[in-house]
Amino acid sequence: MTKKRNWWSILLIVSLIGILFTGCSTNNTANTPNATAESTAPAESAAPEASAPAADAPVDGGTLVLSSFSDIVNINPLLIGDTSSGDIANFVFAQIYDLDRAGNVTAEPWSLAAELPEISADGLTYTVKLKDNIKWSDGQPITADDVVYTVETAKNPETGSPLISQYDKVKTVEKVDDHTVKFTMNQVYAPFLYALCQAIVPAHVLKDVAPKEMQTNPYGTDPAKTVTSGPWKWTAWKQGESHTLDANPDYWGEVKPHISQLVYKIYADQNTEVQAILKGDTDHISAIPVTQVEAAKADGDIAIIQKPGAQYEYLGFNFDASNFKDKYGLFEGQKTRQAIAHALNRQGMVDNILKGVGALMNAPFLPDTWADPGDAAVNYDYNAETAKKLLAEDGWVAGTDGILTKDGHRFSFELQYNAGNSRREQVAAVIQQNLKDVGIEVTPKAIDFASWIDQNVTPGKFQAVLLAWSLNNPDPDAESIFSSKYFPPAGQNAGWYKNEKLDQLWVDGYSTVDQEKRKEIYKEVGKEISTDLPYVFLYQYGQAIGTGPRVHWAEEDAPEPSLGYGQFFHAIKWWVTD
Amino acid sequence: MTEYLIRRVLQSVLVIFLITLLTFLLIHAAPGGPTKVMLSPGLSPEVLEQQAKNLGLDKPIPVQYVHWIGDLLQGDLGYTFKNHIAVSDLLWPRIANTFILMGAAWLVSLVISIPWGIYNSTKVYGLSDQTASFISYLGFAMPTFWFGILLQQWLSIKLDWFPLSDMHSRGHEGDIGDLFMHLVLPVTVLALGFLASYMKYARSSMLEVLDQDYIRTARAKGVQERKVVFRHALRNALIPIITILGLDLPILVAGATLTENVFNWPGMGRWFVEMANSREYSALMSITIVIAVMVVIGNLVADILYAVVDPRVKLGKQGGKAA
Repeated sequence: MTKKRNWWSILLIVSLIGILFTGCSTNNTANTPNATAESTAPAESAAPEASAPAADAPVDGGTLVLSSFSDIVNINPLLIGDTSSGDIANFVFAQIYDLDRAGNVTAEPWSLAAELPEISADGLTYTVKLKDNIKWSDGQPITADDVVYTVETAKNPETGSPLISQYDKVKTVEKVDDHTVKFTMNQVYAPFLYALCQAIVPAHVLKDVAPKEMQTNPYGTDPAKTVTSGPWKWTAWKQGESHTLDANPDYWGEVKPHISQLVYKIYADQNTEVQAILKGDTDHISAIPVTQVEAAKADGDIAIIQKPGAQYEYLGFNFDASNFKDKYGLFEGQKTRQAIAHALNRQGMVDNILKGVGALMNAPFLPDTWADPGDAAVNYDYNAETAKKLLAEDGWVAGTDGILTKDGHRFSFELQYNAGNSRREQVAAVIQQNLKDVGIEVTPKAIDFASWIDQNVTPGKFQAVLLAWSLNNPDPDAESIFSSKYFPPAGQNAGWYKNEKLDQLWVDGYSTVDQEKRKEIYKEVGKEISTDLPYVFLYQYGQAIGTGPRVHWAEEDAPEPSLGYGQFFHAIKWWVTD
Repeated sequence: MTEYLIRRVLQSVLVIFLITLLTFLLIHAAPGGPTKVMLSPGLSPEVLEQQAKNLGLDKPIPVQYVHWIGDLLQGDLGYTFKNHIAVSDLLWPRIANTFILMGAAWLVSLVISIPWGIYNSTKVYGLSDQTASFISYLGFAMPTFWFGILLQQWLSIKLDWFPLSDMHSRGHEGDIGDLFMHLVLPVTVLALGFLASYMKYARSSMLEVLDQDYIRTARAKGVQERKVVFRHALRNALIPIITILGLDLPILVAGATLTENVFNWPGMGRWFVEMANSREYSALMSITIVIAVMVVIGNLVADILYAVVDPRVKLGKQGGKAA
């Protein structure tokens, strides 16, 4: 072979390379003509109707294409920890109770419970009555046994269920009869009502699974093995690509879904998601990034609902001195923290970075909810002069380089946030600039999310963080974030904040079910926390929800950004047209 | 030749084993972990600990490694931690998807770039050469994702000639024509990137050879210019090109993350980043092995091809190449 010098050797190489690809090359070129015909006529691109909320009569049938930028992990209600899994579960599971638009717990026609629970006078027992016609997608009835099984499995530490904290104040859960369940509490715990807005799992399918094998059980990851209870059922999952949900033919609810099929498509990121809805490949996007909202509006076909949601961003201080140089805690002084609050242009962040879709917060309670302390909380206006004055009062003096010092310690700290979050990147830059104006040096540092949570946030090892809380339910209780009972690494008070008065107030707050009394207590919390400032509360922010021209709903069924999963609020009543 | 091949394969197995060992250690040394990335408000560290225990993540790393390689030798690539899905169910479809995309792009770029580069080497600084240079600069300079978005805006959203993204339209899975339409834009983007470098290699490698004494000799003895180029020069010029192609072979399965993201192509590149972010050790190890095997194969194929094009190279007892 090596001796022959001729053309054939070259031809051989070319054909060798060619052989590698014959499969795709011949296939690719074969059917061009019909391909053009098919792919240029997507059904979605025709229908230049006016934007979404239409008062016309609903029609049954059709497919609604939803989008997301991450795939699910597991939709087993006992194990859900991410929003995509929550999205799918939201369509295929019925909950014991649901929330109305104002965030109140209610028994809707699609809830498993027939009516609101009976709460005993001492606030210690909750009796829940289930509807008597409810059934699983495999035809088995849904009974009190399923509720008892779900709560008991969630409470079992071996399951590793994120729901464990939601039920840790439940002493017992008992079946009274097939359709009645009684919860007995260890103590009065007002937020418990929200813990009943919960999907349950079928005991008849899972009762023989050992709790520690729940995570590896195919229930929740294999559509064929996931028996559900909601208006749609989970038909197919193409990993990393899409989910298909079909209307459940045996759905028990009085109100049936209009839309016969939901497709949940997974994109690489929010930007490609936006392109897809603009093109008409999808009909719904849960969150349009702020930078793209204008482009989406300009399209004209996309209806956009934009309003702050159930989440707020904060600048969190660390009170553990060992995190600082020479073990000198920079944020010890209350006046220092107040000065930082004055130095930050929070309204500017809302106007420029959030493009106006946000609301300033002074306490960890969402504006316009019943627990919002309003004027009782201290509002820190943007005022560099006040900030400088407070810093001087606290003993900070300008050093030779313009940076403040106290007892020989420079006021210079590292502000951590997660890499890739463009909003936080911008906010961190504003904080850096604002604080520089008053003589404080900030070094913003972006860290990969997983490492950051693991190395810094969970163990409480940082100087300051820029982070957010998204609130799972509308209850104002936030003991587990601010109480000194919850220090790291076991608890979520990552900044080691301790305030005995607040510790007690949080307990008082959930130890009564009387909302008027609770309101007074949270007003007091708002006052104390906004004075003492474990965080500088920045703002409540929101996602812009976008829907395409095919999607319709009656006014009262429109998406509600202020609720968790509110982007699909009352989806059972939506309809699509072609 | 056979003996050579056997020796190479044995060497490769050792190399791949070492790669897995090293990667396993590196992956586990990275902060975070499969359960820790799931952290969210309301999820207590005890829950994470319990989850890690249920998943066997609390065992020492050497034990985990032995476990993993034992499974691998039985052909079991393991399961994802976060939801216990067999890695093989995820891996092979993605390799296939990526191979279709990258293979098409590679083929298109080879078919255009090699002949064009060779032609340009015979007419240096001609119009064709200048055009090729310009295209190469574009290919080198333009970020692929940006070019991709540009094409999408223009040819898909504005003109509606091609689908925006995905591998298939809904309900058209397995339809070759539909797949072809979905391939056009991403292949254009990727091929431009390949084209830029291959064309440059082909051209400069030819130019170098055409300058050699033996070419002058050939011309001097009156050999036709066609024959000089194709018979005398090309074979020698192909050697460096083969090296590059061999080195690039793993790309065919490794994928191109950014392009796959922009065009929502369910391929390896995108999956790799996703798996890295969620610290899916089994999936990452499988990807590493596949790519390592491709690197080995790429080198082996290149070595064999050297022997085919270059008569001076003998694959034999010495095991080396004499070029």
